[in-house]
Amino acid sequence: MIDSIILSYTTFVYFAAFMLYLLAMVMNRELLARLGTYASLIGLTAQTVAIILRWAASYRMGIGHAPFSNLYESLIFFAWTLMLLYMIIEWRTRNRTFGTFVTPLAFLAMAYASFSPNISSHIQPLIPALKSNWLISHVITCFFGYAAFGVSFGLSIMYLLKRLDASEKKNIFLKLIPPRGILDDLNYQMMVIGFLMLTLGIITGSVWAHSAWGSYWSWDPKETWSLITWLIYAAVIHSRMVRGWKGKKIAILSMVGFFCVLFTYFGVNYLAGLHSYAQ
Amino acid sequence: MKHSTSKHRHNPFWDFFASVKLAIVLLIILAIVSILGTLIPQQRDAVEFASRLSPFLLQIFISLDLFDMYHSVWFRILLGCIALNLIICSLDRLPATWKRFSARLEPDRTKPFDDLPQEQSSRTDETPQQAGGRIGRLLQSRYRKIREKEVGGDRFFYAEKGGLSHFGVYFVHLSVLLILAGGLLGSFFGFEAYVNILEGEQTDTVMLRKKMRPLKLDFEVRCDRFTVDFYENGAPREYRSDLSFLVNGKEIKRVGVLVNHPVEFMGVTFYQSSYGPAPGKTVDLRISGPGSGTSPIPMKVESGKAVDLPGGEGTFRVIDARGDIMNMGSAVLISIQPANTNETVEFWVFKNEEQALSRLPGPMRQSLKFNPAAFKPYTFFLDGLETQYYTGLQVNRDPGVSVVWIGCFLMVAGLFFTFFTSHRRIWVRVLGIGTGSRIDVAGMANKNPVGLERELDRLMKDMRKTAAGYEDV
Repeated sequence: MIDSIILSYTTFVYFAAFMLYLLAMVMNRELLARLGTYASLIGLTAQTVAIILRWAASYRMGIGHAPFSNLYESLIFFAWTLMLLYMIIEWRTRNRTFGTFVTPLAFLAMAYASFSPNISSHIQPLIPALKSNWLISHVITCFFGYAAFGVSFGLSIMYLLKRLDASEKKNIFLKLIPPRGILDDLNYQMMVIGFLMLTLGIITGSVWAHSAWGSYWSWDPKETWSLITWLIYAAVIHSRMVRGWKGKKIAILSMVGFFCVLFTYFGVNYLAGLHSYAQ
Repeated sequence: MKHSTSKHRHNPFWDFFASVKLAIVLLIILAIVSILGTLIPQQRDAVEFASRLSPFLLQIFISLDLFDMYHSVWFRILLGCIALNLIICSLDRLPATWKRFSARLEPDRTKPFDDLPQEQSSRTDETPQQAGGRIGRLLQSRYRKIREKEVGGDRFFYAEKGGLSHFGVYFVHLSVLLILAGGLLGSFFGFEAYVNILEGEQTDTVMLRKKMRPLKLDFEVRCDRFTVDFYENGAPREYRSDLSFLVNGKEIKRVGVLVNHPVEFMGVTFYQSSYGPAPGKTVDLRISGPGSGTSPIPMKVESGKAVDLPGGEGTFRVIDARGDIMNMGSAVLISIQPANTNETVEFWVFKNEEQALSRLPGPMRQSLKFNPAAFKPYTFFLDGLETQYYTGLQVNRDPGVSVVWIGCFLMVAGLFFTFFTSHRRIWVRVLGIGTGSRIDVAGMANKNPVGLERELDRLMKDMRKTAAGYEDV
C-alpha cells in the first residue's frame, strides 16, 4: 500500500523535524529551526497526501470510508491534527521553539502506528456499527481535541522548564522559549479549544451511540474516561476563569489532563468495552 | 471567592453551595469516582470479580453499590449536589452579571480615553458635524446598540456588541442541568429492553434489562426476515431485520431495521443489536437399520419432538441443531430414549460426516458422542437442516432524549459564547479643533484584549476609508 509507505517515511521526517528544532535550541541557530519548519511542512504535506490516497484506495476496494476506522488510522490522524495545529501556532506566534515540544508527540504517534507489530495498516471494511455519518464528525472533533490537549501538554512542559531559569536567564536553551506570560495564555487557549472540541466529540459520540446501540450514554470505559477528561479540564478552566489560577498550577493540571486523554485513547483498551474496534 | 452583593449573604447553606471552590472539588470527586467505576467491573461483568473477593470485602462492595455505582443512590446524590451547586452558584452571580450586561454607559464618558494610545487618535478637516454623521453611519452598520450625544458642537458615540458573552456560562450551566434532567426523565418514564425474535415469528413482550422481567407492549412486532451479509474477509457487512408492526393483529407498518438505522413505532424505538442462528424447526434425516432394506429411510423431523424409531426400539428427538459447529458444518444432536431403559443415548450427526471426522481430534473420533451409529443397530445421516435466524433487538423508550439533545446544543452554544465572544464597548468622540476635528476611539472588553485592539484598529482604518482629507495626528 503506497499510503502506508509514505506514512512510514513521514515518521522519519517528523523525527528529523524534532531533531532540527531541538538542535536549533541547543546551538542557538535560527537556520536549523527554519529547516525544522521545512521538514514539518514536507511531513505534513506528505501525510495529507497519504491520507487522501488511503481514502481513495478504500473506494477503489469497494469498501469506501473515511480513513478513521481503526487504531492505525486514528494514530495517523492524531499526528496529522497535532502537526496541523502546531504549524498554525508556529505561524501565528512566529516562534519555533514550540516545535521541540510538539513534534515528538506526532513522531511517537506515527512511529507507534507504523512500527508496532500489533497494529495492522491494512484498509479494513467497516463493520455495521461504524457505518454512520457520525463517524467523521466524531473522530475529527475528538482528535482535534486530543491534539489541542497535546499541544497544551507541550506548552506546560515549556512553561515549567522556562520557570527553572526565571531568575538567572542564562540558559541558552531556555532563552529562546517565549516569556512565561505568553506560554500561559497560549496554554489556556489550547485547553479551551480542546475542551470545546472534546465536548463536541462527546456529544457527536452520544448521538451516534444513541442510533447505533440505543443509548446515548452507557458508562462504557471509553465514554467514562472521556467524561473524566472533560471534568478535569472543566475544573482547570473554572480554577483559571473564576479563581484566577495561573502559571505553574495550570501547567501541572494541564499535564494531568493530558494523561487522562492518553488513558482515554489507549488505556481503556485494557478495560473491556464497546469501543473495542479502536484497539 | 469574594461574594458579590448577595442578599443571601448570611445564609451558610447558600454560601456553601454558591462557592466555585465547591464546584471544582465536586468535579474532581466525580472524576475520581468515575475512575473507580471503570476499574471495578460493573453490572454483568462484576460476577467473576466478585467471586474472588473475600466475604468481608464483598459485603462492603455490595452495601456501597460498587458493582453498579453509576446507578447507585450515592452517585445520584453526588450528581444532585453538582446540580444544586450549579443552580445556586449561577443564581448568586446572575444579578451582578445582569448589571454588567445592562449598564447604560454614557457616550460622553471621558474615562475610557485616559492614556489613549496615539494610534487611536486622528485628525480630519471636516467639521465635527460632518465627521460625526459619517462615523454614526459606519457604527450603525456594524453595531446594534448605539447611543450618541452632542455637547457644545462635539459629537460623542457609544456602541457595543457581544453582550451575550456574559451569559454564555449560564447557558452552559443550564445545559448541564438539562442533560441531567433528560437522564432522569429517561430513567423514570422510559425503559431499556431487548427481545429475540425468530424469523417469521411475532411477539408483544420484551425483556427489561435491569429488572429482568417481561414487559408487554401495546402492539406486536414480527420479524419477517433477518439477513446478514459478509465482506470477502469474513467480517460482517450489514445486519438487517425486516419488521412488521401489528396493532390488534392488523399490520400497520413494515420497515427494515439496520445497525445505525433504528426504527420508532408508537414511541418505542427498535435497534438492531445482535442475531444468532436458532435451531431449525425441521431437520431432514435418513436412518438405516432394521426395516430400512438397502437404502436408509428418509425422515422429516421436527426438532424437539419425539419420534418412534423405525423398528420400535424406542423414540428419538433432535435436541440441538446448529448451522455450523466448530467449523465442521451443520450438525444435529440426537437423543435416543430406548424403550427398555431410562438411559438416553446422545450423539452428534454431521451433515458431512467424513469431513467432520477428519477434523476431529483423535480421541474425540472414538467417542460415542460423535458416532452416528452409537445406538445399534441404527445409523443416522443428516441431509439438511433448515437454517433459521433470530434477530436480537434492543427495544427502548426514552422520553428524555430530546431534552438531552437540547442540553447538548445549548452547551455548545454556551461554550462558544463564553470562550469566543466578548462584550466590547466602543467610544468615539469627535472634538472640534480649529476648522477641523479630532477623532478619538477607545474601547473596553470583558475578555480578549487582543481581539478588542484588533477591532479598534479595523475601525480606525475603515473610518479613514470613508473620509477624504483624513490624516493621522
